Amino acid sequence: MLGCQDFCGYYEWTFHYLRRRFGEAALAEYWSDAIAADSQRHYLDAARTEGLRGLYKTWAQTGVDEVCDWTVTLDEPSNLLRLDMRECPSKGYLLSNDLNADEDYCDHCMGWIGPALHQIGAEVAAHEHNHCGQCWWEIRNVAAEQPPIEVASDIRRDPRWSIGYLDRYSHQEKLPIVADSDRIDSVDVLRDWFASSTRIVALGANAQLPASSRADAVIVSGGRYALGDLEQVSSVLVEHIPELLPAIARVYRARKVRPLLVHPYLPQQPRLDFVEHQLPRATPILPLLIRSGAYCHHAGQATPGFYALAAMLAAALQKSLVLPDDVDATTLVHNSQASQTPV
Amino acid sequence: MSAPDFYFAVNATARHIHDRYGKDVLIEYWRSLGREYYAARAKRWQLGGAQAIADDWTEYFLHEPNADVTAIAADRIVHMDISVCPAIKHLRDCGREIVPYFCEHCDHTCGAMAERAGFTFVRSGGMGSCRQSFYPTSLKPDEG
Repeated sequence: MLGCQDFCGYYEWTFHYLRRRFGEAALAEYWSDAIAADSQRHYLDAARTEGLRGLYKTWAQTGVDEVCDWTVTLDEPSNLLRLDMRECPSKGYLLSNDLNADEDYCDHCMGWIGPALHQIGAEVAAHEHNHCGQCWWEIRNVAAEQPPIEVASDIRRDPRWSIGYLDRYSHQEKLPIVADSDRIDSVDVLRDWFASSTRIVALGANAQLPASSRADAVIVSGGRYALGDLEQVSSVLVEHIPELLPAIARVYRARKVRPLLVHPYLPQQPRLDFVEHQLPRATPILPLLIRSGAYCHHAGQATPGFYALAAMLAAALQKSLVLPDDVDATTLVHNSQASQTPV
Repeated sequence: MSAPDFYFAVNATARHIHDRYGKDVLIEYWRSLGREYYAARAKRWQLGGAQAIADDWTEYFLHEPNADVTAIAADRIVHMDISVCPAIKHLRDCGREIVPYFCEHCDHTCGAMAERAGFTFVRSGGMGSCRQSFYPTSLKPDEG
């Protein structure tokens, strides 16, 4: 039987199934048709009867059922229903059970809430989530004024807000994922960044830059970058080691030409607070690795190291990989091979 | 987090895949789910045999709201009597239209898991109460 206790796990797995078998549009269609219009139709019924108040009551009950640690704020004169999630139980289930089958689980909320609100003349006026269980939403009627409102429960004042990476929406449209780019998909950000190079040179701890690497993209581990002796660095693949961040930040801020920080954001690894160290939140690489089939996450598996991740990144970007002489490429194959059953 | 409204999504997902892609794809989805998502659970069944299957389901149904289920292992066979299926009950209580093939998810998801563990899954009844049995593949169901 497919129960409700582990629903979030196989729900996320279902996203990956639909995405890999039928494509991105099929997943959007699933969220809109199956979830918004069918599974969650009680939200639509409540909204049609009582507007934002109906949604407030329904979400409040969901919060009780799912044991959400959140604040739901209704301010009808200001045309505002606001959600501030401190610990999402749904994402929390995945994190605590080391589950990461799909590229981005958090997308599903916008995937069904957006189409549902559209049917009743409302919208997600603003929304952000950090992929670590914290998010906020402003839900408003489209036809009414939308004055800016501050709430005491704003999750962005919570220290947990500065971990993870942000997806941001305004009036149901996704906003660019990093500064100085119009890309809304981290996969496009990575492809753009490495587009001009045919080879990626990977440098882990203590590795030296090969002499003939001028035209190559150089990706280094956070520990290697923190040594501060490399000028020609395209990207820093930051390990799950919070203690490295102060040194990485010192080198990063001292450079005029700055590398792209990237990070795997693996579910059960230590979470890094880039913001606390005045660093941009690193671009996630797992969506690219999963989409390309270079990586398949299995609960409890060994955490891939820097060179294995660099090998997967190069494979996903269809680039040649140059490794230091003392790194055996054959040892990376096991870690970087996706092992899921093809469909 | 055992929120029973999640059963709405199980029902809606089956309807969507069936109506959009067809019954064959729905069956393949359910079977893939059993093979992939529940691979570790099926491995534990394989290692622990019938008693592990019975214990697993006994524990599982403790966390499903309003479930009334007994699972007993004897002579390498597991018989599970589902007097009250929590999913069907909740969907009915909430007035949801249940897809007529809803119960088949057990056949295919549990069936795929059972195969991995060296068992054959058989269900009789459905739509609220049923008997589910796991037979070693070396034993024909009518021998149990």
